[in-house]
Amino acid sequence: MIQLKVTNLEKRFGGNHVLKGVNLDVNGPELIGVLGPNGAGKTTLTNILDGAIKPTSGTVYLNGQRIDQLAPYEVARAGLGRTFQVTRSFRRMTVLENLYVPALAMGHMNQGRALTEKAMEVLEFLTIDHLRNEYARALSGGQQKLLELGRLLMLNPDVIILDEPFAGVHPKLMEVIYAYIRRMKAEGKAIILISHQMDAIFALSERLIVLNFGVLIADGAPDAVKNDPAVIEAYLGKDEEDAA
Amino acid sequence: MARIPHIAGLLLIAFFLAFPLVYTGANYDYVMHVLITGFFYAILASSWSMLAGYAGQFSFGHMAFMGIGAYGTALFCHYFYITEAPTGICTEFGFFGNWLVIKNAIGVTSTTLTQDCLQQAIDGWGDTVRVWRMPVLLGIILGTLAGGLAGLLVGLLVLRLRAAYLALFTLGFSEIIKAIISAEIDITRGQAGLVLPPLYGEGLNLFGLQFGQTDKIPPYYTMFALLLACLAILTWLSRSRFGLFVRALREDADAAAALGVNTTRYKVIVFTITTAMAAAAGAVQAHYVQIVTPNMLFLLQMSLVVAMAVIGGVENFVAAALGAIFLQIMLELLRTSFSIGGIEVDMTVWRLVFFGVLLMLVLRFARNGLLAPLIDRFARIGVAEETIAKRKARQEAQS
Amino acid sequence: MHPKRNGGPSVQTPEIFWGVILWMTVWGVLGSVLLRRRYFSRDLDTSNVNFAGAMAGAALGPIGVAVLWARTPKLSGRITTFLGLTAVVLIAAAFSFADPENNCVANGAFRASQFTNGLIIGIIYGFMALGLTLIFSILGVVSFAHGEFYMIGGMLVYYITVVWFPGVNPLLGVMGACCLAFCIGALFERAMLTPMYTGKIDRPVEYGILATFGLAFTLQYFVQALHGASPVKVQRYIDFPRWEFPAGAESPLIETRRGNLTLFDTVSISNPRFIAAVTCILVLLALLYLLHRTWTGKALRAVSQDREAAAIAGIDPNRMNMLAFALGGMIAALAGALLVQAFSWLPQVGAIPAMRSFVIVVLGGLGSLPGAFIGGILVGLVEAAGTGCIPDAQKAASYIPAYGMIVLTLTLLLRPTGLFGRRFASGAHGQGG
Repeated sequence: MIQLKVTNLEKRFGGNHVLKGVNLDVNGPELIGVLGPNGAGKTTLTNILDGAIKPTSGTVYLNGQRIDQLAPYEVARAGLGRTFQVTRSFRRMTVLENLYVPALAMGHMNQGRALTEKAMEVLEFLTIDHLRNEYARALSGGQQKLLELGRLLMLNPDVIILDEPFAGVHPKLMEVIYAYIRRMKAEGKAIILISHQMDAIFALSERLIVLNFGVLIADGAPDAVKNDPAVIEAYLGKDEEDAA
Repeated sequence: MARIPHIAGLLLIAFFLAFPLVYTGANYDYVMHVLITGFFYAILASSWSMLAGYAGQFSFGHMAFMGIGAYGTALFCHYFYITEAPTGICTEFGFFGNWLVIKNAIGVTSTTLTQDCLQQAIDGWGDTVRVWRMPVLLGIILGTLAGGLAGLLVGLLVLRLRAAYLALFTLGFSEIIKAIISAEIDITRGQAGLVLPPLYGEGLNLFGLQFGQTDKIPPYYTMFALLLACLAILTWLSRSRFGLFVRALREDADAAAALGVNTTRYKVIVFTITTAMAAAAGAVQAHYVQIVTPNMLFLLQMSLVVAMAVIGGVENFVAAALGAIFLQIMLELLRTSFSIGGIEVDMTVWRLVFFGVLLMLVLRFARNGLLAPLIDRFARIGVAEETIAKRKARQEAQS
Repeated sequence: MHPKRNGGPSVQTPEIFWGVILWMTVWGVLGSVLLRRRYFSRDLDTSNVNFAGAMAGAALGPIGVAVLWARTPKLSGRITTFLGLTAVVLIAAAFSFADPENNCVANGAFRASQFTNGLIIGIIYGFMALGLTLIFSILGVVSFAHGEFYMIGGMLVYYITVVWFPGVNPLLGVMGACCLAFCIGALFERAMLTPMYTGKIDRPVEYGILATFGLAFTLQYFVQALHGASPVKVQRYIDFPRWEFPAGAESPLIETRRGNLTLFDTVSISNPRFIAAVTCILVLLALLYLLHRTWTGKALRAVSQDREAAAIAGIDPNRMNMLAFALGGMIAALAGALLVQAFSWLPQVGAIPAMRSFVIVVLGGLGSLPGAFIGGILVGLVEAAGTGCIPDAQKAASYIPAYGMIVLTLTLLLRPTGLFGRRFASGAHGQGG
């Protein structure tokens, strides 16, 4: 059973209080949407979960292991994977090599046929198998997003953080990402989805949390959150049309 | 078609293996010397290409590690001896029935004015006591280890530095090493240099052929074997997960870490391995030329290695090695001065100017070097066609 | 260049000195590490704590670390400066106890003279580093050709005033050298660095380093091929008038002879250095005027702060790149043109000043103009102390590059952003996690 427990997470950058005591529990397979206006602390939260920055105080436990003081690679090995808001593929490595990195780094596979087959299966699922020997920099922006998602499939973590997976993606490829998220859910993973695209968030997530100025102001079923007065005031009030 | 680089590589190896045996042209020793130096630079350029091209760590201190290797073995061979009897005046330890003697450092004046303690003892003994030098191989191994250890330390120090800071720090490190070697005259003899025993002190007897101390064939094959060994290690590394990880590290260290790659560890490892290779090359070269001076650490030497690697192709260590051999030969060919219209053109310097211009032109117009794209092209034959064919097949299946 | 020493190379009790250094190092490392943890866990600003912790440990030992640990004050510039100065004083005291007969301990006049000369040469160093930091702040490139611009500056003055047009006013020579260096810089930038800005190059920083490295290589050997390896020297540009203040006194406060300036009858400054430093200050003021009062200068500063925003505001960043690189090269060339009257000149003369400039810009903070200047003065003083106080004069001279490197290593370890550095959280420009 996957268990991610975030307790009283605080983060300050100098005088800037970015996260003010965030609590979050993720139990078992779940798809959680994260909403919040710019500067709400979404990226900081992601970076703390990922190990890229250390929290000022508070703890993060993943499956009983404390991960908030670990280095990013240790967090990845503990079972938390993420994508980046701005795509960060290994540009001068081929698509296949991009996929080999996480599988080999985790140590659960060795170079050889099985690895190639697994990678090809992932690429076929993402509909970019024809590009397998191309350098990643030759891919379009959307394809690079898919590649990044593919790397997560190879990493095979328990908890997946998707940071703006739909930004700048061609509608045709959106379908693939939807299918990807559904597949991850079916595989029993906990998915944390951060996106500005309300329609996607409301279509996909079972649970929605809303951050505003570093405070978690709502946590619950999407419909309930949507009608939460605090949320409307803080965030949805401004662009109600988008949310509808 | 994709096998062409392999076949070409094997042919080249066969050519270099056979060359000393079949070459009968003029200036035999000189030609051999040029090639040995070419192999020496090839080791440096290819290991630097692993560090800078694969791992993205643009270190400008590679020659310093070469120097540590060279001075490591030089100091070891200069100061350590084994004697049958204790000298009584040197620092010495019992050593399996013999004595390990450490000479005292007396600086440059030694040859004319004062004698070191071991020499005094030998003068006293006459021929009654046998004295052995340290084995050259042990010196080379120690030099390599010293270079690798220094690489490890520098690697740890520069972990957090990127790009410009890294380049500056390593350049400064190399200046410090040079300053220390030039300044500590008592120990390193400064510009006077340290004299080393030759690679094969007693000459070499192989397959019934006797090679003298000054024969070029043994050092030729030694340096060539070292080059092949380094290339083999680099090939093995680049094909294993190590190569994949360091390239991921070069492309995006944060993303690599988020995917479970221990970036710190691989950065330090790549530093240690490549610097150890540079040190090994330096140690062998030092025994080949039989003298080490601080001049081998001039920035010019580093510039040559960088230029060779860049012109060959910094992202492919084989290309870098070939570029180094090729450019070393070119540099020697261009050495002959000539005069146009009564003006003497001193080619010993002008060739370096052409070299610099070539470096800039390659950088500007062929960023991956001259040889690497060629190799890459053969290796990637059919990739574009495959992509297009598959894309077509997919589109047809969809429609 | 170095005054003759009267004592031999004999440190009387080096144990005191090295003991104190060891003690300071141990507590410095401990202070830096411990206090960083302390400030971190107390949720305080940690940007200064490495430096301050190390200085507290080095200066005051366990007491300093303990006080900071207990009270965790806000680490203002005043506290860190105070601690840093204390550490320096402590080193000096230990040194003077260890070697009381050393020239720079026993001889006050020598000390004053080393200090003044360090200050003066530091101004020139800082000025030269300014060019490097200007290039960096606009183009994001560390120019490895900076030393070569310095070299051609001096060479051009020699050729203009001695070889091509003998007897021409040195001022014209200096200006000609600057103009030519400016043109070389501009040409090189157009020819080699333009691909960096279009995003076509995967690693622009490394490309810039290699390209300028190539330029350095080419320039150095080009000059050597044309000129040969013989050293040249240029007559001093201006003679001081014979002048004393107060006039006729037995030991006047200021006294000038043609090639020399003597202060308080003790400190002697050579004419070329003095002229060079004064010119540097004047040009620096002109540069500050350019940067802060003219449109071009404001455009330059705008580009250095935010490329995209500047482009939107109608500034062509490409042209600013060219201007910055050419200006940076010209500054180095001017430094060379001014110093060629003080030192003998060779095609290889650029290596050490280039290295020194790197140290200075890292110390001052890559991209910071005042940082470069203050860094230059600090490095000048450190070098003066190093060359003046190390007992063996020959060794002291050999180790000149090493003094800067010690400063560089300490800076990178303790405060990687430098004294006045902008923060580069990560990314292409420099250091980061």
